[in-house]
Amino acid sequence: MEWFDALVQGVLLGGMYAQYALGMALMFGVMRIVNISHGDLVILLSLIGISFATAWGLGPLPVLIVLVPLAVLMGWVLQKAVLNRVVGSDPLPSLIATFGLSIALQNLMLQIWSANSRSLPGHGIESQSIEIGGIYIGLLPLIVLAVATGLTWGLDLTLKRTRFGRALRAASADVEAAAMTGINPRAVYAMATAAAVGILGFAAVFQALRSTVAPADGPAQLIYAFEAVIIGGMGTVWGAFAGSMVLGISQAIGFRIDPGFGVLAGHIVFLVVLATRPQGLFGKALS
Amino acid sequence: MSAIPYVANEVPEVLVQRQTRSGRIAMTLAVLAMIGVAAMPWWASTGTIRSILVLCCYIAVAQMWNLLAGYAGLVSVGQHAFMGAAGYALFVLAQTYGVNPFVAVFLSLLVPAALAVPIYLLLHRLDGPYFSIGTWVVAEVFRLTASNLPLVNSGAGMSLRVMKDYSAFERNVAMSLLCAGMLLVTLGGSYWLLRSRFGLALIAMRDNPVAAASQGVNVVKLRFLIYVASAVGCGLAGAIYFMAQLRITPGSAFDPMWANVAIFIVMVGGIGSIEGVLIGSLIFFIADRWFGEYGATYFVVLGLMTLLVALYARTGIWGLISKRWDAPWFPIRRKLVDPNR
Repeated sequence: MEWFDALVQGVLLGGMYAQYALGMALMFGVMRIVNISHGDLVILLSLIGISFATAWGLGPLPVLIVLVPLAVLMGWVLQKAVLNRVVGSDPLPSLIATFGLSIALQNLMLQIWSANSRSLPGHGIESQSIEIGGIYIGLLPLIVLAVATGLTWGLDLTLKRTRFGRALRAASADVEAAAMTGINPRAVYAMATAAAVGILGFAAVFQALRSTVAPADGPAQLIYAFEAVIIGGMGTVWGAFAGSMVLGISQAIGFRIDPGFGVLAGHIVFLVVLATRPQGLFGKALS
Repeated sequence: MSAIPYVANEVPEVLVQRQTRSGRIAMTLAVLAMIGVAAMPWWASTGTIRSILVLCCYIAVAQMWNLLAGYAGLVSVGQHAFMGAAGYALFVLAQTYGVNPFVAVFLSLLVPAALAVPIYLLLHRLDGPYFSIGTWVVAEVFRLTASNLPLVNSGAGMSLRVMKDYSAFERNVAMSLLCAGMLLVTLGGSYWLLRSRFGLALIAMRDNPVAAASQGVNVVKLRFLIYVASAVGCGLAGAIYFMAQLRITPGSAFDPMWANVAIFIVMVGGIGSIEGVLIGSLIFFIADRWFGEYGATYFVVLGLMTLLVALYARTGIWGLISKRWDAPWFPIRRKLVDPNR
């Protein structure tokens, strides 16, 4: 029963990780770029949300409604000001640029909000739970999982069914060929990053609700997102979702074995997947 | 080449010029500086020796990162994994097993070498930017493992108490010699490598790996060797740094700060050149002394500078200088000159 409980908690934790991983999978799939400041953006959005909530006494839902458009705008600006200049076949410029941004953001947040851990007041929602078959499940983690599933489903459908999704897939398959058919890659990239960071707006609210955030927490979120994407298999949205579940379950079981082992267990599962199935659990093997 | 028929006396007599006047001046200065570092106990205070030791570690780590990112195209943000691993190996050998610490410094290099092989075999499967974050995960794995490993006293860390058996002067002599040796191996070794036939292969690989492979460069093998060499170089810097610190903890041993330092130094100084590493190291060292007290603001500026260099001046300061004046300090080009003129 204890292990079944760990499994359930792991799936719920995976819901949180999926919200980080979706944006990363989307950006890498489209631009072959990894934004090192991915995790720092989550923390920045969380801290902004907490400041809004305390300044105007907002509840979690209004904060979410304010934060997601703000995140979309941040993503769009990030693409226009930074990423459009470094996108290309050489990974070095984009890595260095976002690495520098990550250092600057972390320390800027440290100055504005100090090193203290903060969290978003949830007005009771964070402590409610429901009992299913002898296991108590927190209401908030359940909402997180539901939102993550919804976001994954929505993103998958957008990619498959809409005009924007077709443009994205075309640009990720071959930028030049896509440009020849009338797609403006820069515009597609800007929308992809806006969508990726917009999803981080959701992640920011939930992260701040279910635990605490501090300016130095960003790199850990980046690493979890990355591990989830690689475990699941690059190139598929549902792969990133499934990878998040595997990572969440690994960490939850690791924490049950020894509290010092939880995060390490996630890393080990990642390395084992990399050693035995480098294309990821749900990715297609390269011929 | 041999397929083209030619008459022997049509070949002009040329000399291959590999050294320039600026290179000779710089080489003389470098040798003098190296002797100066080795002779520090006779002219510098213990505090100065400590500062110069840190500067030497910056130079060594930055040059190792430069070899990886600037030539092999492997952008690692986790080289501190190998610094910490060698540091810990030194402490375990010297403190736990009673090996002479000055011998243990060299023995400890076996650990990063042995770890780098399987790690590279795992991580090279990751594509471009994902490789970088993979190296970061490995450094985190090392940190968390050290925090849970009773052999290295878990999270509490270790102290190098055996160093009290040596007088302050003896320690200063050893530190100075180790620093000079580290510079010789990392900078001198890189310079030698770049001037050798491997250097040609490396530069070809830097410019275009696919074209280099088509010219017969074994890109896969060369990348692997550079990764292992860089791990050992970073390990040497780590062992010397933590020997001077006399104390190691998982947090300090696997501190991502070193990745920031290496990236800042190489990008601002100028990637793909030894001159750039020296310029960047001096800038960072001086900036750290002058502005380090401003803490977070200082790092915001450092981060923004890295971002701006990546966006607008990818060749760094040395790139701008060498575009204006053709006076390399460490020339690696082969220039044909007519001896009759």
